[in-house]
Amino acid sequence: MPTYKAPLRDLRFVYYELFDAESLTALPGFEDAGGDLVMTAMEELAKICEEVIQPLNAPGDEEGCKFENGKVTSPKGFKEAYDLLAQGGWTSLICHPDYGGQGLPHHADIMAGEMLCASNLSFAMYQTLTSGAYLAIEHHASQELKNYYLPKLASGEWAGTMCLTEPQAGSDLGLVRMKAEPRGDGSFLLTGTKIFISAGEHDMTENIVHLVLARLPGAPAGTRGISLLIVPKMREEGGKLVLNGVTCGSIEHKMGIKASATCVMNFDGAVGHLVGEPHKGMKAMFTFMNAARLHVGIHGLALAEAARQGAVQFARERLQGRALTGAKYPELEADPILVHPDVRRMLLACRAFTEGARALTAWTTLAIVDAEHHPDPDRQQAGDDLASLLTPVVKAFQTDLGFETTNIALQVCGGYGFTRDYGMEQFVRDCRITPIYEGTNGIQALDLVGRKMPANFGRSLRRFFHPVAEFLAAEAGNERLKEFVEPLAKAFERLQRATGWLAEQSLKSRDEAGAAATDYLHLFGWVAFAFLWARMAKLALEKEGKGGKEDVLFYDAKVRTARFFFQRMLPRHSAHFAALLAGCASTMEFPDEAF
Amino acid sequence: MAGIEKAGVLGAGVMGAGIAAHLANAGIPVVLLDIVPEGAADRNAIAAGALEKMKKAKPAPFMSAARARLVTPGNLEDHLELLADCDWIVEAVIERLDVKQAVYRKVDAVRKPGSIVSSNTSTIPISRLVEGLPEAFARDFLVTHFFNPPRYMRLLEIVAGTATRPDAVALLTGFADVRLGKSVVACKDTPGFIANRIGTYWIEAATKAAIEGGLTVEEADSVAGRPMGFPKTGIFGLLDLVGIDLGPHISASLLSTLPADDPYRDIAEDRPLLRKMIAEGYTGRKGKGGFYRLDKEGGRKTKLVIDLATGEYRPQVSTRLESVAAGAKDLRKLVEHPDRGGRFAWELLSRTLAYAASLVPAIADDVTAVDEAMRTGYAWRWGPFELLDRLGPAWFAGRLAAEGRPVPPLLAAVGEGTFYRVEGGKLQFFGTDGAYHDVVRPPGVLLLSDVKRAGPPVAKNASASLWDIGDGVLCLEFTSKSNSLDEAILRQLQKAMKLIENGKFRALVIHNEGTNFSVGANLGLALFAANIAMWPAIEALIAEGQRVYKALKYAPFPVVGAPSGMALGGGCEILLHCDAIQAHAESYIGLVEVGVGVIPGWGGCKEMLARWIANPKRPGGPMPPVAKVFEMISTAQVATSAEEAREALILRDGDGITMNRDRLLADAKARALALLEGGYRPPAEPVFQLPGATAKAALDLAVAGFRANGMATPHDVVVADKLARILSGGDTDVTDTLPEDELYRLEREAFLELVRHPATLARIEHMLATGKPLRN
Repeated sequence: MPTYKAPLRDLRFVYYELFDAESLTALPGFEDAGGDLVMTAMEELAKICEEVIQPLNAPGDEEGCKFENGKVTSPKGFKEAYDLLAQGGWTSLICHPDYGGQGLPHHADIMAGEMLCASNLSFAMYQTLTSGAYLAIEHHASQELKNYYLPKLASGEWAGTMCLTEPQAGSDLGLVRMKAEPRGDGSFLLTGTKIFISAGEHDMTENIVHLVLARLPGAPAGTRGISLLIVPKMREEGGKLVLNGVTCGSIEHKMGIKASATCVMNFDGAVGHLVGEPHKGMKAMFTFMNAARLHVGIHGLALAEAARQGAVQFARERLQGRALTGAKYPELEADPILVHPDVRRMLLACRAFTEGARALTAWTTLAIVDAEHHPDPDRQQAGDDLASLLTPVVKAFQTDLGFETTNIALQVCGGYGFTRDYGMEQFVRDCRITPIYEGTNGIQALDLVGRKMPANFGRSLRRFFHPVAEFLAAEAGNERLKEFVEPLAKAFERLQRATGWLAEQSLKSRDEAGAAATDYLHLFGWVAFAFLWARMAKLALEKEGKGGKEDVLFYDAKVRTARFFFQRMLPRHSAHFAALLAGCASTMEFPDEAF
Repeated sequence: MAGIEKAGVLGAGVMGAGIAAHLANAGIPVVLLDIVPEGAADRNAIAAGALEKMKKAKPAPFMSAARARLVTPGNLEDHLELLADCDWIVEAVIERLDVKQAVYRKVDAVRKPGSIVSSNTSTIPISRLVEGLPEAFARDFLVTHFFNPPRYMRLLEIVAGTATRPDAVALLTGFADVRLGKSVVACKDTPGFIANRIGTYWIEAATKAAIEGGLTVEEADSVAGRPMGFPKTGIFGLLDLVGIDLGPHISASLLSTLPADDPYRDIAEDRPLLRKMIAEGYTGRKGKGGFYRLDKEGGRKTKLVIDLATGEYRPQVSTRLESVAAGAKDLRKLVEHPDRGGRFAWELLSRTLAYAASLVPAIADDVTAVDEAMRTGYAWRWGPFELLDRLGPAWFAGRLAAEGRPVPPLLAAVGEGTFYRVEGGKLQFFGTDGAYHDVVRPPGVLLLSDVKRAGPPVAKNASASLWDIGDGVLCLEFTSKSNSLDEAILRQLQKAMKLIENGKFRALVIHNEGTNFSVGANLGLALFAANIAMWPAIEALIAEGQRVYKALKYAPFPVVGAPSGMALGGGCEILLHCDAIQAHAESYIGLVEVGVGVIPGWGGCKEMLARWIANPKRPGGPMPPVAKVFEMISTAQVATSAEEAREALILRDGDGITMNRDRLLADAKARALALLEGGYRPPAEPVFQLPGATAKAALDLAVAGFRANGMATPHDVVVADKLARILSGGDTDVTDTLPEDELYRLEREAFLELVRHPATLARIEHMLATGKPLRN
């Protein structure tokens, strides 16, 4: 069975060496949140993840959620683990102190998220959705609603959900029909059905707070007529919590994340309150969705990391055959399969992906911190631009590649990987939802080329392209870095050309942009990884041979992984480049009836 | 009588003063007389005061400060003798027959025989104006009806009386066309002539239809504005602009003279809302506000709009009528739309266009005069008959008939046809005789649009076309959005040069009929390229622009630039590289690059410097031209007329100014042919002797001063520093000489540094988003 060791060293590397999260202590409110404090907390959480939450992963999958008489029962041990997290304050890491939170910067939540999801994605869902609901309420709701709900969400006493999807309204939320009728006292009565609601109903908290997209009477058609309402499972009446007309109709039977309850939620005259302005719900929901999309990108990273660890463990232990160039471990009956080039290729591909994804996640996260907390408006703007640009890339690229990585990791384990008992296939099944939920990866690609790219005449792009161009210019003469900088420069130039081409084509035909979008997003993802890998290699080379034995090994492995990435993985970008430049004709001219 | 060399204007009100200023713009000395105010110390106070006011007015009545000196103010009691040598005397006094006739008698006593006298009346028939006056006076008399403001509104309605001698009409028509740049429309002696007759009806119909249709002011303006090709202010916005109090006067005057069965009588109404607004001083922008009003209470500006039903102001809201969206590309879809915007559109257009159609031939000989009058006098994009063609005359007549409304005979006559058609490459109009006739342009008018109708282009790409305009002259037309300059235009320029060098043509004219010649390089493309750090591509574009412009300058054939409207940034730089400029008088030319945080990179710095160094009137030493050009470029100075461009040396000796836009291309072509006839030789490459670091230090010091007293922003200082380096010659020394390539190189270097600067990118983005410069 795979075990899990939280990658604390690498987290510290990306946040405090590659990026300067320590500088966040200069921001108001974060004065005390230095790296030592944050990383000490992460070490504590790592223990809970490794010792309590990860051991619930396989049994939770086996047992699944149960639905009976409108009640959802989570797998054995989940509630206790949830209480442990709440009591330890782990549900309120980034919540505001005014509402009982610990007021840590956003990246603490992101690091915690990776560890929780890697340990047990189904379990982590209950907590991360609550944290998303907290953010949406904190950003958009009235002070009265904040005072009422936020302390309960921060403490973990109550959980949260986001209720967007309806049977006829998935990717196209403009089709939402849920009705919200004003009662005349400022509240609304909600009627309708939502589906695919993660953690819509469960037994871990006394109350569940739903954020619901609905239409007010006379609302304009489409997304301009959607409002966001807050609707609790239990509402307060005469000082007591009473049922509020929100019921779970059934739960889905799914391929993966079986311990996460995916519910059909019926609202039958449930009382709710408006969050933000009428008809402006999509705007408010975007706060939630952007945070959630980043989190899903982390799901891809986390499951890949967990699977990678399992594969490495297997490859070390499994003895089969001898190395092609002669026995490496002659004292053993056979060499561990780790010696075989193809197995090494697979393990290094997993490693280059997870470490690259961790760095890209960190860059995006710190941009969000700038956007929300930096006192300089220019830095705020730059942070917001970069975060909004990278969010679809993190979500789609890290889940596409994350799924691929869990699959590669399973492959390393051969027939054992395919068995349910061994635990590797669960990662593949659990990961399969990640390219789908929170906006399919196709939608993410359209978001990138249709919305993020043209916004403000390409200003968001600047926040990515300029640092890369500056890095390339600065390192152009660096001989030691040449092996990394040259392929980066080549890939970057292709990304520039593809971007220019796409901008030009989109003016002529939207189909052109649509057909190129996924290849463009992947090209973008590879170049973003390459940029971060080049920077990580530069840093590791500078620190080469320094520090204790563990550090020496760490930096050495970093440089070698970077080398593998540039030589054996980055070439994949050119396939996407060629594919997108080929244009949309072969895709669009195929007759509909011939499919 | 030879021509008009001196003029008199009587009455120094808004119209009289404006007419005097515009005569001065044409280089004509003018006497401007008004009455002696009672008890005034200065007996010329009214005319003199009007002249002073005009010197400061915006938009400026004068094309340059120097032109104001051509106007001599005086009064109608002491200075009548100043009219004795005037060739043309324009009367623009109050609209009262007795007052006008008294003035005519005074004038007739002093004017020289054969001099022309005209009235700017908009309401009084010519027959009544000359009643009881000597026959000789009546023979020399006509109506010249200008539109406000006279410099900018192109329409001039000329009405001849029964006694007027034809040669006086011809002389004035020619003078107004060529020298004043007016679009002259011959009108009949009918009430309101053409433009005000239809325009007044149009405004009344719109007001009535909006109120009765229950539209808000914003909704009405969103329909009766841009979608119909009416001024983009919309009708109510337009009323605010011209003055709400003007309407009742014109209306009353029309009602007193219109035929008894005129349809205007059916819709003209005394509207209590308007009466109340005028009485309380809400007469529009000149008053306390009008249909729109800016409320500045509490330091916050709020746009308010009047409620047409209650007369109360309320905050302005943005409107989104489905009919407006549906009719964005197709006018018919707008008037057929069932919402209140569509119903309003039909009500307004059906009335107005049917009215216009019913007035031909009563007020004009043919439809072209009516269309021209409404385009140039009321700034309609399309005249009434062009609008009918857009709707389909047969469809329009059919709907009128279906609604039981009369179909005007001319509309019935055109049947299934249209009022205009292109036949054999020529534009034709439907005459009142039921036949089509060629639209004939006066001699000396060459329109690119006519050339384009006549046949295919010599070459065409996404951003520019080449046209054969006859006599071996090729015309390059920008066709990109806002005529912005891009790589495709550079390619087309190269193609043009190749065609001429291969002997297919002999000369090149750069001209287009857009509102603006070119507002510069395509900033959207540039910003996108900068945002994705495509520095090599940007450098290549700068270098390519320099190379092509330079090749244009030294090409072995004449190149004439013929701008009208704005020629800014790269659009100015291309003109600076032409052998000659033939500019429309209303050309606004300048190097405005610093507004978006860069410097002129296509040879603009170099060419302006060369012009000021070559200026024979300049003070000695190397510094004055550098300082002058630095001042012009660093403050993004724009010449507000061709005359000012001449003062800025953008136009050089030998460069011409054309007052009438329609004559610009013919004049430019003639200029190119004249250069050929003179045995064209390309210019010699200038060699620069520039002061170098010492001059840069002086300029930097001046900029530091502007920064210190708050006149320059931080990024202004950065940009000015780069500009100072170029203009002072970089690392040169006054004893060295620099080839012009070195100045191109300095421009390139500075441009590429600035375009990477975040503050520059913020400026470009702001300009693209808001159309206004960012002061960062």
